Amino acid sequence: MFAYIIRRIVQSFFVLMIVMLFTFSLPYFQVHGIVAPAYTVLGTKATPYNVAIWAKQHGMDHSYFYRFWTYVTQLFFHFNLGRSYKENNSVWGIISLYVPRTIWLAAVSLLLTTIIAIPLGIYQASRRNTFGDYTATGVAFVLYAMPNFLLAMLLLDAFSFHFPHLPNSPPQGVQAWAMFTNPAGFILPVAALTMLSVAGLSRYMRGTVLEVLVQDYVRTAKAKGCSGLRTLFKHAFRNALGPIIVLLGLSIPALLGGALIIESVFNYEGLGIQTVDAANNLDLPTVLGITLLVAILTLLGNLLADVALGLVNPRIRIEGNAR
Amino acid sequence: MTDLTERERVAAPEPPDSPITLNTDEEIVPMWRQRIRIFVHNKLAVASVLFLLITIGACFLVPFIHPTNQTNQALTFGLPWNQPPSFHHWLGTDSSGFDELGRIFFGGEYSLTLGFFAGFITIVVGTTYGMISGFAGGVTDTIMMRIIDAFLSIPYIFLLITLISIFNRSTVFLICIIGFTLWWGNARIIRGDALLIRNLEYSQAATAMGARKWHIIRHHVFPNSISNIVTVATFSIADAILFLSALGFLGLGIQAPPTDWGTMLQQGTSQIQNGFWWEIYPLALIFILVVVSINYIGDALRDCFEVRLLER
Repeated sequence: MFAYIIRRIVQSFFVLMIVMLFTFSLPYFQVHGIVAPAYTVLGTKATPYNVAIWAKQHGMDHSYFYRFWTYVTQLFFHFNLGRSYKENNSVWGIISLYVPRTIWLAAVSLLLTTIIAIPLGIYQASRRNTFGDYTATGVAFVLYAMPNFLLAMLLLDAFSFHFPHLPNSPPQGVQAWAMFTNPAGFILPVAALTMLSVAGLSRYMRGTVLEVLVQDYVRTAKAKGCSGLRTLFKHAFRNALGPIIVLLGLSIPALLGGALIIESVFNYEGLGIQTVDAANNLDLPTVLGITLLVAILTLLGNLLADVALGLVNPRIRIEGNAR
Repeated sequence: MTDLTERERVAAPEPPDSPITLNTDEEIVPMWRQRIRIFVHNKLAVASVLFLLITIGACFLVPFIHPTNQTNQALTFGLPWNQPPSFHHWLGTDSSGFDELGRIFFGGEYSLTLGFFAGFITIVVGTTYGMISGFAGGVTDTIMMRIIDAFLSIPYIFLLITLISIFNRSTVFLICIIGFTLWWGNARIIRGDALLIRNLEYSQAATAMGARKWHIIRHHVFPNSISNIVTVATFSIADAILFLSALGFLGLGIQAPPTDWGTMLQQGTSQIQNGFWWEIYPLALIFILVVVSINYIGDALRDCFEVRLLER
């Protein structure tokens, strides 16, 4: 198990290095080269002299490799992602301000998704091709085909502007504790995000449980006289747990991506809104820093999912030890 | 009459020299026609194709039959904005005074074109990459797959926003950006296929008989993974349309004066509290139906390439 985890961590580290190389190299591909943001920051009337000074201030006169080396060492040894071009703050400062808010939104939704999607998948698989199954599949199909923001907007229209009058936006304070001042404000954003991820996952969930249900050991369990529920939970569900955990781990990028849209709709200051604002201002250190951070979060999620998979599935645990 | 034909048939002489007795009742149906038969049997899939064709046709043809002004905003104060449906404007006008029905077709041209082109790029790049990776094996395969892992770990919308902030926002760039970044998942699927088929017995037999890699790719791997390629391509088109709409919502989509469905939905939903339903629901309905039908066609295509459903 330990060897397995170490192997996965090393793998994730290599993946992270590729992501870093990518995010670092991207600005070089701009139309005006790496100094392009200077024209956004200094204005269109900036003289070449001003641009050159700006470039020197941001260390752009150094070579590519020197800059990459600085970037990597600064990140790993000082948690320094550079300074924002636009705001008088370090990228790390911006991120640390907003990351708890996004993680809170995503984590609550992930928890709810787990609570809803797994029983739903089991229900759909065990009552295959009945009215309930068709309804759930149909709803998931439509939700999946809907742009994220449209669903959020319709929820807002139905449950905030009309009857129940739920708050249309989560609390706005910047401090982390401000999130908890008005929990009712989170009902709609969390509901929207949960619906989206359940819709994305439910088809796979159904398929996963279905695949287990046709296995021989389930038939054997039924043949020896197990009751339906006992078969489902003692034999089928335990074996379906592995793929379900992998699915949940893989759903994290979609969840964070959905959070970006949901944040914009409900005006919830988190990483998503910051990314969009920074992108519109061509504030590249912020955009790339957030992208890197979100990638790290995803990798961490996948790593956790793999570790959990090792815990629930003895075969993987033993294989990991053997190598 | 029937009697006569019956007798004639009985009287008809056997074909003189046919060593194999063919079952003449069932003529041999070529594979592609069987596949079409399976597809046509799926009524919902046929309905989806029809709906998609009608939508595409309408988007590209109706503007010629019934031209509406989609370039000049109505700047006269008051009247032409946010009009409810009337005889002149069947679906009313939007917040800039554009005829909503005409605008749906106008935006559809961009959304659908972009979706199809991006889907096409996706599948070409993804298939090539997946095939190469699956066939190269060893270190090359590992490195290529780790690269895919790296890009899959960045949530797609963040990646899109990053790229769009760096490159310019013209329509062609949007197609390229979406097309050249949506293929990671596809490449993984195709690579899995290639890896599987490469190790199957017929491929090994071909290798044993001296076939080159390229021959095996062309004659064994490609035809056998075509089902996944086609299915994945269909889903990519739907995904591309969806992601474009998300970009439109963030204001990073196709820039005015042209528009796309995402931008239109964003403009419509920003008026949601005023109750201007005609700016949201007709377009939302068409949009969802288009994406659902593309997804459904993908499902049906997967069925019709399923070998177990073929007759022989």
